[in-house]
Amino acid sequence: MRRAALLAVAVTAYMVAAWMVAPGFYDGFGPVQPYNWTCPPPQAGANLKPSSGHLDIKVIGGVSDANSAFSNDGQVVIGFLPGAFDSTGKTTISVDVTPLPTCPQPAGIRFVTNVYQITASAPLVKSANLVLRYSNLEPAPTDVYFASDPAGPWKSIGAAQQAQPFTIVTTTKLFGYFAAGYASASSPPGAVSVGGGQTLPIVVAVLIGLVVLAGIPLAILRRRQSHGEAEEEGDV
Amino acid sequence: MSLVLRRTHPGVRAALVGTLVLCIEWARASIQAQPYMAIPALVVGGAALGAVALGTPADRLGLGTSRLGLRILGGMALGAVLLFPAAVRSGSVPILPAGLAFAAVAVSIGEELAFRGALYAALHEVGGAPLAIIGSTALWTAAHALSHPPAFLGAVAAAGLLLALWRWACRDLVGPVIGHVIADLAL
Repeated sequence: MRRAALLAVAVTAYMVAAWMVAPGFYDGFGPVQPYNWTCPPPQAGANLKPSSGHLDIKVIGGVSDANSAFSNDGQVVIGFLPGAFDSTGKTTISVDVTPLPTCPQPAGIRFVTNVYQITASAPLVKSANLVLRYSNLEPAPTDVYFASDPAGPWKSIGAAQQAQPFTIVTTTKLFGYFAAGYASASSPPGAVSVGGGQTLPIVVAVLIGLVVLAGIPLAILRRRQSHGEAEEEGDV
Repeated sequence: MSLVLRRTHPGVRAALVGTLVLCIEWARASIQAQPYMAIPALVVGGAALGAVALGTPADRLGLGTSRLGLRILGGMALGAVLLFPAAVRSGSVPILPAGLAFAAVAVSIGEELAFRGALYAALHEVGGAPLAIIGSTALWTAAHALSHPPAFLGAVAAAGLLLALWRWACRDLVGPVIGHVIADLAL
C-alpha cells in the first residue's frame, strides 16, 4: 500500500514538473525549438511567425569575407566561403533571408518547410552552403527545391547527408526561393509514420484503455492464484 | 570489466558504475552535437550504457519473465503517464526519421539498463532502496544536464524518480524499459 502511495505521489510530481515545460517529456531527439510556420499545419498548436535575417559581408582587397547569413529564428542558414561573391567595385555585400508570406504547393512536390527568399547585392561565383531546419511534425524532406519565382517552376537542387537531425543541407550558386520537401507522388520518405492530426491523445487513450482492459482480468487471475495458494497452505 | 566490478567493494563498485554511466552519457551528449554524429552517438552510447549492465544477474537488474503480462502492462501505463502532459497540450505525434527512431529505442533501453538496472543494483547493495532511488535519480538528472536545456531538468528528474520508484515498488525493469521506449518514440 505504501509503495502504491509513493508511486502515486511520483506520478503527481511528474505531472506537475512536466506541465511546467512544453512538450513535457523530452529526451533530446526532436528539436527543442518548435518550428515557426508561415502556414502552420493543424497539429502545430501555438505558432510564431518565421523571422527574416540580414547580413553585410565585408569586401577586403576585392575578396568577400567568409560569413553566414541566417534568419533570426535559425531556420535558414546560408554560409559563404572567402571570395564567394563577384565583388567587383563593392566594399560590402548585403544578403537578406526573408520568409515568403504565402505557401505555394507546386504540383508534384510537397513542401515541409516555409519558402524562403534569399537575395544578395552581388552574384555568387562559388557555391554557398544552405541549411534548412524542418519540423518534427512533418515527414523528413528528401530534397531542397529552388525557383527564381515563387510561382515556379521549382526544381530539386538535391540534398547532402544531414549534418544534424531535422536539418537538410545543400549547395547553391544562385539566389532565389528555397524550400525543402519531397516528391508528393511518392509516400513520405524514411519516417515512422505514426504522426499527424490528433494522434497523441489517441495513443495515450489506447495505452490507458489497454492497461485498464488487460489489467482487470490479470488482477482477477492474480487474486485467484493467491487465494489458491492460501487455501493450499491452510490445507497443510 | 564486469568481473573487476564484481570483485570490488560494493561502495567502490557503485562509485565506479556511477562514474562510468555519467561519463558515457556526457560523452554521448557532446558527440551527438557534432555534425553527422547524432545517430551514431545515440546508437553507440545506448550500446555502451547497456554494456554497463553486463555481468549483473538478470534478477538483480529487475529483468525476468515472471508476471510478464503485468510487467508489459506496467510499461504501457508508464508510457501513458510520461506522454500525458504532452497529449493534453499538443495533440500531435512528432515524426521521427527512421534512423533516429532506431537510435531512440537503442538509447532508451541502454539508459534503463544502466540507471535503473546496474546503477540501481549497485547503490542498493550499498545503502538499500532509499540510496538506490535517490542516487539513480540524481545521477540520471546530472547525466542529462548536457543534452537538455536547464528548464527541462525538473521534468527529467521527476521522470527518473517515477521510473526508479517503479523499479523499487514492483522489483521490475521491464516496465521502465517499455515506458521509456514508448515515450522516446512519441516525443
